[in-house]
Amino acid sequence: MSDLMKTMAASASGMEAQSARLRVVSENIANADTPGYRRKLMPFEAFAAAPQVEGVRAGRVQLDRTELTQVYDPAHPMAGADGMYDGSNVNLMIEMADAREAQRSYEANLRLFDQARQMTSAVLELLRR
Amino acid sequence: MDLNLNILTLARGLSGHAAERQAVIAQNVANADTPDYKAKDIAPFSEVYAGGTDAPMAMLATRPGHLGAGADTPNFAVVETSAFASESPNGNTVSIEDQMMRAADVKRSHDLALGVYAKSMDILRMALGRR
Repeated sequence: MSDLMKTMAASASGMEAQSARLRVVSENIANADTPGYRRKLMPFEAFAAAPQVEGVRAGRVQLDRTELTQVYDPAHPMAGADGMYDGSNVNLMIEMADAREAQRSYEANLRLFDQARQMTSAVLELLRR
Repeated sequence: MDLNLNILTLARGLSGHAAERQAVIAQNVANADTPDYKAKDIAPFSEVYAGGTDAPMAMLATRPGHLGAGADTPNFAVVETSAFASESPNGNTVSIEDQMMRAADVKRSHDLALGVYAKSMDILRMALGRR
């Protein structure tokens, strides 16, 4: 029974980390056109969610260090002498792929959580007979 | 009356094994996107059972009269294992599809264990004349 509780703790930590990641992805997408915005990265790290349970948690948010895109728009207030200004380094394709992966992993965690719940209630059902 | 309750011990061992395995699989899935995480699993129940009476599923009894029951579920050896060619560039070896297969297997054996347990109890109850 306590194993099934550990299962739920691990799955819950997974869902929490994946939703934090999805939040960061949506922040990136919202700022895709913000000049000078650097894309945020969410690293995952394994940690003990409960004694003997290796769950996962979202680590410190890091900034993507790739070059900012140069946008040509002489009318822009931030444009330099050559008419270019720093855009963001958000690539929408990458963000969408990341969001899809987060969703897939979230669903997998949810499924295992549900399975552990079913197993727990099956055990309790034995007591009710 | 000679009560041979081995089948109940066996069912308990199988359900304990399934629960522990489920915990390991849940950890794997939670860490499906963690860099350098290696997928784990525990030894199959058949191997544990073939280990003999010293297998971790045996209940503890300090005296011959004790039915005995361990306070906690036993710990099975955890080994690293993963599906073929499932390593990602970041060193993670968890394949969600593979873990889902294992989880389905766990659910099946847990249902089997509980089914056997319930049926054995029914038979005992019938033998006692209560329905």
